Amino acid sequence: MLSALIIIPFVSAAIIGLTPLSGKNPRNFAILTAAIILTINLFVCLQFDFQHQGIQFAQDVAWIEWIGLNYHVGIDGLSFPLILLNSLLTLIAILATSPTIQRPRLYYAMLFLLNAGAVGAFLAQDLLLFFLFYELEIVPLYFLIAIWGGTRRGYAAMKFLLYTALSGILVLASFLGLVWLTGETTFDYEILRSHTLPLASQLWLLAPLLIGVFIKIPIFPFHTWLPDAHVEASTPISVLLAGVLLKLGTYALLRFGVGLFLEGWVYLAPWLAVLAGISALYGASCAIAQRDMKKVVAYSSIAHMAYILLAATATTRLSMTAAVFQMVSHGLISAFLFLLVGMVYQKTGSRDVDYLRGLLNPERGLPVTGGLMILGVMASSGLPGMVGFISEFLVFRGSFPIFPIPTLMCLVGTGLTAVYFLLVINKVFFGRLTENLAQLPPVQWKEHAPAFVLLLLIVAFGIKPDWVTHWSEVQAIALLTGG
Amino acid sequence: MTDFLVNYSWIIPVYSLVGALITLPWSLGLIRKTGPRPAAYINILMTVLAFVHGSIIFNLVWTRQGQQFVFHWLQVADLDLTLSIELSPVSFGALQLVTGISLLVQIYALGYMEKDWSLARFFALMGFFEAALAGLALSDSLLLSYCLLEALTLSTYLLVGFWYAQPLVVTAARDAFLTKRVGDIALLMGIVALSTYGEGLNFSQLDSWVSGHQLDSTTAAFLGLALIAGPIGKCAQFPLNLWLDEAMEGPNPAGIMRNSIVVSAGAYVLIKLEPATTLSPVSANALILIGAITAIGTSLMAIAQIDIKRALSHSTSAYMGLVFIAVGLRQVDIAFLLLFSHAVAKALLFMSAGSVILTTNNQNVTEMGGLWSRMPATSLSFLVGSAGLLAFTPLGMFWTYRRWFNGAWDVSWWLIAIVMFVNTFSAINLTRLFRVIFLGQPQVKTRRAPEVPWQMSVPMVALMVVTLITTFAPIKWPLWLSPNTPLSLLQPELVSQYSIPLLIASGALGCIIGSTIKVRKAWARSSNIGVRFIQDLLAYDFYIEKLYDVTVIAAVSNLAKITSWLDRYIVDGAVNLVSIATIFSSNALKYNTTGQLQFYIATIVIGTGLLLWSMINSQWSIVTNYWSSLMQ
Repeated sequence: MLSALIIIPFVSAAIIGLTPLSGKNPRNFAILTAAIILTINLFVCLQFDFQHQGIQFAQDVAWIEWIGLNYHVGIDGLSFPLILLNSLLTLIAILATSPTIQRPRLYYAMLFLLNAGAVGAFLAQDLLLFFLFYELEIVPLYFLIAIWGGTRRGYAAMKFLLYTALSGILVLASFLGLVWLTGETTFDYEILRSHTLPLASQLWLLAPLLIGVFIKIPIFPFHTWLPDAHVEASTPISVLLAGVLLKLGTYALLRFGVGLFLEGWVYLAPWLAVLAGISALYGASCAIAQRDMKKVVAYSSIAHMAYILLAATATTRLSMTAAVFQMVSHGLISAFLFLLVGMVYQKTGSRDVDYLRGLLNPERGLPVTGGLMILGVMASSGLPGMVGFISEFLVFRGSFPIFPIPTLMCLVGTGLTAVYFLLVINKVFFGRLTENLAQLPPVQWKEHAPAFVLLLLIVAFGIKPDWVTHWSEVQAIALLTGG
Repeated sequence: MTDFLVNYSWIIPVYSLVGALITLPWSLGLIRKTGPRPAAYINILMTVLAFVHGSIIFNLVWTRQGQQFVFHWLQVADLDLTLSIELSPVSFGALQLVTGISLLVQIYALGYMEKDWSLARFFALMGFFEAALAGLALSDSLLLSYCLLEALTLSTYLLVGFWYAQPLVVTAARDAFLTKRVGDIALLMGIVALSTYGEGLNFSQLDSWVSGHQLDSTTAAFLGLALIAGPIGKCAQFPLNLWLDEAMEGPNPAGIMRNSIVVSAGAYVLIKLEPATTLSPVSANALILIGAITAIGTSLMAIAQIDIKRALSHSTSAYMGLVFIAVGLRQVDIAFLLLFSHAVAKALLFMSAGSVILTTNNQNVTEMGGLWSRMPATSLSFLVGSAGLLAFTPLGMFWTYRRWFNGAWDVSWWLIAIVMFVNTFSAINLTRLFRVIFLGQPQVKTRRAPEVPWQMSVPMVALMVVTLITTFAPIKWPLWLSPNTPLSLLQPELVSQYSIPLLIASGALGCIIGSTIKVRKAWARSSNIGVRFIQDLLAYDFYIEKLYDVTVIAAVSNLAKITSWLDRYIVDGAVNLVSIATIFSSNALKYNTTGQLQFYIATIVIGTGLLLWSMINSQWSIVTNYWSSLMQ
C-alpha cells in the first residue's frame, strides 16, 4: 500500500507529461490524482497503529545488491504526519494554481515528481534510498522555480540547486562514512542503527550530516537560498517549499542525526541549542526589516524552523514529540500565510508593504483575505486556540529544563513574530485604501477554499492537539532509546 | 434541573462565543438583506442567556463551594496539561460583573454604533471579547487564563482597530497589541518555568507548590517578575501604560469594557496568582513600586488631558496602581474590592462620556459646556460615577477604603499618603471635567445637544442604580481570598483612626481645587514658560512615548536594519563571493587551453614532479596517519 503512495505520483506525472491532454484536463486530472493520494493516506491513517513502536506497512525488496541498496519502505509515527501533510499540501497547491497557467502539463508533471520525491524520502528505511529521493526532489523544484518563477528566477533557482545539491553531497558523505566505519554491506537504517560507533567517529560523521540538513532546514548561516527561492517561486511552490520540503531537513535531523548518532548529538547539543536560539532571533530580526511580504514570511519560516532544532537538542520524550508537532504546525501555518500573500499578489500585483494600504476595505479591497491574514498572523505568533501556540509551548516546555537560555532566546523570537507580522498587517491592510488600488478584481469564495481548509486544521489541531501528538509520541520516544 | 445547570456551568462563556460565530454571516457581508441589526440582537440574547444562567448558579454556589471542573486537555510524555474551572462565589461574582456590564454595554452600543456600517462585526467582536472575559472569571488554571488573556489581547487589537482606516487608530491598535504582547511573552516564560519547576498549572497546585518551593532566590525573583509582567501590560501599569490611553481612539462601548473590566481581568489573574507572584520579596516590592509610580504618575497625567476619554483612562491606570499595591502587600481581598468598586463606577463614567461624545461629535472638552440642563441623565450619571470613584460617603469606594483602613490590615503612612494623593487628584480631575463639560456657557458644539436615545440612556440609568446598590458589597464582603485572614480587628492604630477622615478631607480638597481653578484659561497654553512646561509634560504623558521612540523602538528597528544588512551583504555576500570566485577562476583557467604543446607538457611534468616528491618524502603518510588517528 505504501508503494502506491510513491508509484501513483510517478505514474500520473508520466501520464500528464506524456499524453496530449489539453484545456482544463491536466488540471482536473491532477486534482483527481492528488485527491486519490490523499484518500489513500487517510486510509493508511485508519490502519495505522499509533501505539506501535517501529515501522509499519514495511516492504523490503533487494534492489541493487552489490552496493547494498534495498527498496525498504515503511512508515512510523515520525514520518506519518509529514506524509499526510505532504499529500494534503500537494492537493492544496494544485487547487491554488491558476487554471490558466502556462505549460500546464509540464507543470503538473513536475508537481507530482516533487510529491513522489518527498514521500519517498519520508518513507525510505534505507539510507541510500533516502538519498536518492532527497536528490530527486531537487530536480522538479528547480524547474518549478526556474520556469514559473518571478523576474530573478534564474538566479534563485540556480542558488537553490547548488545549495541543496551540496546538502545532498554532505548527507551522502556522512552515510557512506557510516557504512564504511561500521563495516556493513547494507544501507539499511535499522541495521546501521544497531551499531554504536565511538564518539569521535560519530562526531566526524555527524558534522557533514548537520551542515547538509542545516542548509535544507535552513539554519543560520546556511539560509540565504531560502528568501530568494521563496520570493521568486510562485505561490503553490512556496506553499510546498515551506510546508513540506523544508521538513525533509528536520526529518533527516531527527531520523538520522538523533537516530544514528545519539551520543554525538547529545555531545553537540548545547552548541546546537544556542545556534537554534541565534537562528530564531536572526530570522525574526531580518523579518522586521523586510519590505516584501513574502520575504517577511520566508524569514519568519527560518525563525520558526529553528524551534524544531531547539526541541531536537533537548532530547527529552516531550521535546521530541514537540519537534514533530512543530513541523506539522509550521507546515500548516506557513502554507496558509503563503497562500494569502499569494492572493494579495495575484489581485494587486504587488507585495510591497510600502505600496499596499487599506486592503481591509469591505467594498473595494480584499476584506476576507485580510481577515484570514490576521488569523494566520495570530496563529504564527502563537495565539492560543490555534496550533502555533501549543506546538511552540510544547517545544519550549520540553527544552526549558535542559537548555533554559536558548529557550528564552526563542521565546523572545516568538515575541518578535508579533512585531514583524503586525507591522505588515498595519501597513497593508489597515489605513485608507489608496486610489491606485481602488479597482481590485474581487476574490471568489472558491479561490479561498484551500486557505479555509488549512485554517480549519490550524484551529482544530490548536483545540485538540492530542490528535497530532498521539501520532508521533511513541515513535519520538523510540528514537532516544537507541536500537 | 439545578444539577444540570451547575454541571454545565462551564458553558456560560461559550454562549457569547456561539453568538459571535452565529453572527459571522452578517459581519462577513453574506447576509445583507436584513441589515446588521439581527446580529446585534443575537449577541444580546446570548449575553442575556449567560447572565441568567450565571445568576442561577451564583445563587446556588454559596452552598456548593469548591466544586471544580477539570478537563485533561493534553497529555504528552510526562506532561499533563489540565484546564479547570472553579465554582466559587468569587468566580461567579466576577462572571456576573462581566456578563452584566457586557449586557448593558451591548444595549448601549445599539444606540452608540447605530450609524456604523459594520455594526455586525462590532457585535461579533464584542461576543468574542465577552467570552474571553467570562472564561477568565471562571478559570482556575494559569494555562487557561493565559490563553484567555491572549484572546483578550487579540480582541482588544481588533476592537481598537475597528475603524482601521483612521491613521491614529492604526498606531493605537498596533501599540495595544505589542505592549500587551511584551507582558504576555514574559508571562509565557514564567508559565513555562512554573510548569517545569512546579506541580501543575492550576492555581491550587501553584499555591501548594509555592509554600514549599526549593528555588534559589535569583530564580524566584526572575520568575516572580515574569509572572507580574503580564498583568502589568494588561492593567496598563508603568512602563507598559501607554496603550490604554491610545486605545481611546476605538469605539466607546468597547472602551467602557476595556476601562472597567478588561484592565480588571489582568489584575484578577494577578490576584489569583498571588502566592506565586509574591514568591520572592523582589517581585512583591516590584508590584508595590510599579503600582505607586503608576498611581502617582497617571493621576498627574489625567488632570492635563483635554480629551474626555483620555482623561478618564489615565485615572483607570491610577486605580489599577492601587490594586497592584494591595496585591504587593498580599491584601488580596482589598485588591478585589478595589477592582469591583472601580469597575462599576468607571463603566458608568465612560457611558456618560460616550453619550457626550455621540451628541456633540467631539472628544475635546475645551469645546464643551452647559450640557447640564440639556442632558440630565448623562450629567447625573457622571456625578454618580464620580462619587462612586471617590471616597464619597456612602458609595462603593468609600466603604472599600474603610475596609482597608479599619485597622484589620497592616497599613502604613506611605500607603495612606498614596491613596490620598490618588483620591485628591481624581477629585480635581473629575470636578474640572464636570465643570467644563456640563456647567458654564454652552459652546458651538454643545448648543444643540438632545439627551441620548433610550438604547443608551436606559443602560446608563440602570448602571447608575447598580452603582448605588453595589455599595453594599464592600460592607458585607466576607473575607475569602487572603491566606491569613485577619478575622478580628487589630488594635486600632493611629493610622487607621485618622485615615478615613483624612481620605474624606482629601476628596473634599480635590473638589475644592477642581472647582476653583480657572479651567478654560488653564488649558489655553500658559504664557508662563514654567507652567507651560509642566502642562506639556503632563499632557504628553511625561514624554514616555518619545522616550520609547528613541530607546526601545529605535533599538529594535536599528537592530533589524543592521541584521538585514548583514544578511544581504555579509552572509549572502560571502555566498555570492564564492560563486563569483568560482566563475572567475574557471574563466581564468580557460586561458590554459592555449593549444601550445609545450605548455601542456610543462604542466604535466610539474604535476607529476610534485606527486613524486610528496611520495618520496612520504608526505602522504602524515596526512593518512592524522586522519586515521582521529577516526579511532
